[in-house]
Amino acid sequence: MSLFLIAALPFLGALFPALLIRAGRNAAAASAGFTTFLAFVGLLLNAPAVLRGEVIQARLDWLPGLGLNTNFFLDGLGLLFAGLILGIGLLIILYARFYLSREDPMGQFYTYLLLFQGAMVGIVLSDNILLLLVFWELTSLSSFLLIGYWKHLPEGRQGARMALAVTGSGGLAMIAGMLILGHIVGSYDLTVILQHKEMIQASPLYLPALILILIGAFTKSAQFPFHFWLPHAMAAPTPVSAYLHSATMVKAGLFLMARMWPVLAGTPEWFYIVATTGLITMVLGAVIALFKDDLKALLAFSTVSHLGLITMLLGFGTKIAAVAAVFHIINHATFKAALFMSAGIIDHETHTRDIKRLGGLRFLMPITFTIALIACLSMAGLPPFNGFLSKEMMLEEAFHTSWMGSPYFIPGLAVFAALFSAAYSFRYIVHVFLGPKRHDYPAHPHDPGTGLWLAPAFLVFLVIAIGIGSNHIVGPLVSVAAGAVIGGELPYFSLKLWHGFTPALWMSLAAVTGGLLLLWLHPRLSKMWNAAPRPEAKVIFDSLLGTLTRASRGVTDALHNGSITRYSAIMVAFTIAISLYAYQSGVASEATRAVQQAGALPVIGWICLVSATGFIVLNHRNRLLALVLIGVVGLIVSLSFNYLSAPDLALTQISVEVVTIILMLLALNFLPKETPVESPLAIRARDAVIAIVAGTGVGGLIYALMTRDFSAPSISEFHLANSYKGGGGTNVVNVILVDFRGYDTFGEIIVLGIAALVIYALTEAILGSKVRAYLLNRKPDSPQDGDPHPLMMVVATRVMMPLALMVAAYIFFRGHNLPGGGFIAGLIAAIAMLMQYMASGFSWAAERQKVYYHGIIGSGVLIAAATGMGAWLAGQPFLTSAFGYLHWAPLEEFEWATAALFDLGVFLAVVGAVMLTLESLARLAWQPGMNSEHAMDINPARDDAAKLKEEV
Amino acid sequence: MEQFFELLITAFLIMAGLFGLVGSFGLLKLNDAMSRLHAPTKATTLGVGGVLLASMANAYANGPYLSVHELMITLFLLLTAPITANFIAKVHIHQRESRNSLPTAGEDGAWATKNLPDTDEG
Repeated sequence: MSLFLIAALPFLGALFPALLIRAGRNAAAASAGFTTFLAFVGLLLNAPAVLRGEVIQARLDWLPGLGLNTNFFLDGLGLLFAGLILGIGLLIILYARFYLSREDPMGQFYTYLLLFQGAMVGIVLSDNILLLLVFWELTSLSSFLLIGYWKHLPEGRQGARMALAVTGSGGLAMIAGMLILGHIVGSYDLTVILQHKEMIQASPLYLPALILILIGAFTKSAQFPFHFWLPHAMAAPTPVSAYLHSATMVKAGLFLMARMWPVLAGTPEWFYIVATTGLITMVLGAVIALFKDDLKALLAFSTVSHLGLITMLLGFGTKIAAVAAVFHIINHATFKAALFMSAGIIDHETHTRDIKRLGGLRFLMPITFTIALIACLSMAGLPPFNGFLSKEMMLEEAFHTSWMGSPYFIPGLAVFAALFSAAYSFRYIVHVFLGPKRHDYPAHPHDPGTGLWLAPAFLVFLVIAIGIGSNHIVGPLVSVAAGAVIGGELPYFSLKLWHGFTPALWMSLAAVTGGLLLLWLHPRLSKMWNAAPRPEAKVIFDSLLGTLTRASRGVTDALHNGSITRYSAIMVAFTIAISLYAYQSGVASEATRAVQQAGALPVIGWICLVSATGFIVLNHRNRLLALVLIGVVGLIVSLSFNYLSAPDLALTQISVEVVTIILMLLALNFLPKETPVESPLAIRARDAVIAIVAGTGVGGLIYALMTRDFSAPSISEFHLANSYKGGGGTNVVNVILVDFRGYDTFGEIIVLGIAALVIYALTEAILGSKVRAYLLNRKPDSPQDGDPHPLMMVVATRVMMPLALMVAAYIFFRGHNLPGGGFIAGLIAAIAMLMQYMASGFSWAAERQKVYYHGIIGSGVLIAAATGMGAWLAGQPFLTSAFGYLHWAPLEEFEWATAALFDLGVFLAVVGAVMLTLESLARLAWQPGMNSEHAMDINPARDDAAKLKEEV
Repeated sequence: MEQFFELLITAFLIMAGLFGLVGSFGLLKLNDAMSRLHAPTKATTLGVGGVLLASMANAYANGPYLSVHELMITLFLLLTAPITANFIAKVHIHQRESRNSLPTAGEDGAWATKNLPDTDEG
């Protein structure tokens, strides 16, 4: 199966559980399992070739200009990790089906799980570090959803946020590191980077790149000092913990270190940073784990400790240590997933995870006991289980490694950690399962159904099988995976239980004996531990985050306090400042154009404009008057467009003006008629200064612009020359809209539609809230009119409607060659309908309006898109227009153009958007009693004289 | 013939100017809103109408063909101007008059604008 498909399958499959949950929980689980199984089979089909030592590649150039290509490759390491992710994923899907309760939304769970799985598979298959980063961030996001799955629990939400904050910020550091790495090599392809070890290690940027990449890996793999997020992520449902913390999420960091091992490892910097961090994490995790009473917390810290172990092995930088690391990755995944599942079973059946409340469960839950026993002994490093083999290899390697010249430091601490590791493993068995049966369990414990224990049972079967027949079962896989990590000749190694009386065996023996001793001393040690002061990671994290939040809030509040006046003051003042800088540092050329004589008409228009704006400034607190004055300004502007030979603009301006004023009148309905004076005089004076300076500046700029020629030739010449030849229309403005810049127009009608839908959605949201009651009971602030739908208005608008629509049609059809077009026609048609709403009221008109405006907007956009795509049929690019001439016998010859169809789309989108906005605003104003069955209040033709008399 | 059209056009224009002037003067001179309402009606009907008729005559006499666009303008003016006047009058009654200050409403008993249930008054 193609690697593209393997990587894409989980993402595609993520759709199904969310949809199929309607068909029941089994259907959702089965669909998730089936996609994972398909991807797993696809992976296995590639396995024989990989095991032969081949590297499978799939390449697709995505954004080659950025070096970002969807290249995938599958080598031994990728096979190992993808196998773990998909294989354990399958078991988790089975387990989760029986673990989650009826109240949990299971469709969501599987969708999140598959998204996460897809992101993980993407990481391990990527052959491009930028692509890898994309998947890396996707794991942070999808794990956030999974950890916070129980959103009703505060711990779940806080844990999810913490995990996202830590791994997300680590991811940011890693982006920087990866970019540096790509910069050094000159390619973002992993396969290329992996061949340039000398170049990278000789570069002065090696250390920064190394540190940044390691921060990413350490945060993801919960290495000290970033280990604290992992235990808090235990608030997630157990299947999530089992998946994220055994085989996938936390292993992503290890995967990255293993992947980069050939080029980054082998230097002292690598050794001291990675091995030391790993060592500290291993010891710290093991010690804390012993004193945790929560089963999952114990397992969480043990996971931290084992991750430290693997990190340390990778940090050693020797080939055989890398082999041990790869082997322990497999072993840890098997026994840790089984242990998490067993902890989940105990929690599920006894309703507690507190070790202090458990004990004696071996009688009540024999199957769970068997599973946990084998997995724990493997974790403690006892033969003949797989944990023993890799722990032995680790101790052997530790024995041969010296740190800062001391040969005892690493072996000593490794034994110390192994000792605690054995102790907490034994504690899991002894304090939970052994001992006398108790009578105070929170629930009656019993073994679960097959569905729950089958997955962990299969995993412990693997634990035993790998332990006994390691060379046959995982030998080849470890060889190819380690070969991929090392990137060269494999050292000799043998995966077997008995190596003779090696130092490692004695160390192992010491650890197990010490572990038993520690367990015996546990009650006393535990008291001392609890009495000792310890730094609490969550408190530190929260206070750090709180400080950051307060600081950013301080900055934000200073700039964004919700006052539009302040926003515009800041924006305008800033613009003035940079304009001033530009003015001082730039040079203005000499004026090249003479100033023309102004005629009488422009002067009259100018006087109207100036006095209207002056009155607005004086009277802006009276909102209605201000609106009327704005209308005057709009009228003069459209008249001046007309005077300056821009009839298209004039038509557009005047129709936009009408629609805007009507809609603003509707909105004013909800505001007081007057704006009170609130700001002190000083602030108003400041605002006046800003306004005057900005206004003068803009005026001067425009004057300067108009008295000079363009420094470069304008595009207008091209438009004028090609409008008829290329676009088939003599109205250049319309041809620009529907042809030259058709793509812009297409985008704009979509934006217009979205804006109208947003207004509609806001209305819906407001009407769904408490505000609805207020709106329904709102008292008007001045007395109402007794005759809101007067006879004359109603009759006149009825007469005008067909006339106006005819004008719209006329404007629409002539648009291509004479002033007009879809946009203007749409506005005119909208005005024709607006008049009906105004004359007879919203509810009366709405009852007679059968087509939803959403549909009109949608059909407009679709028609425009379909017209654009029609060009494909002729083998032309999107939105290429065509035109020709037709001659039908009785008619004059006329032109047809596909641009007219596109214009129809514009027309419909405009009509729909305007009307939807009107409808939304009118719905807010609606109050009971406004419904009228008659078009007008007083109708002489209607026989309701009796009713009228009665009212009076 | 030419002179006849010239005389006709001139007559229309003078009529238009005259009524425009009268309308504007009335708007300034008359005292209250209801009286003022009458003045601009002269300007919109006879004033603008005169210009339009002159334009049509001019197009027939000097232009390529008889233009009827002006009739459309007249139509729209005649449709919209009364409604504007009606609304101005209604607003005036609504805001400045009370039931008592209005003359009796004849057989209907109440003026439409003031025809509200008593509880809502004030």
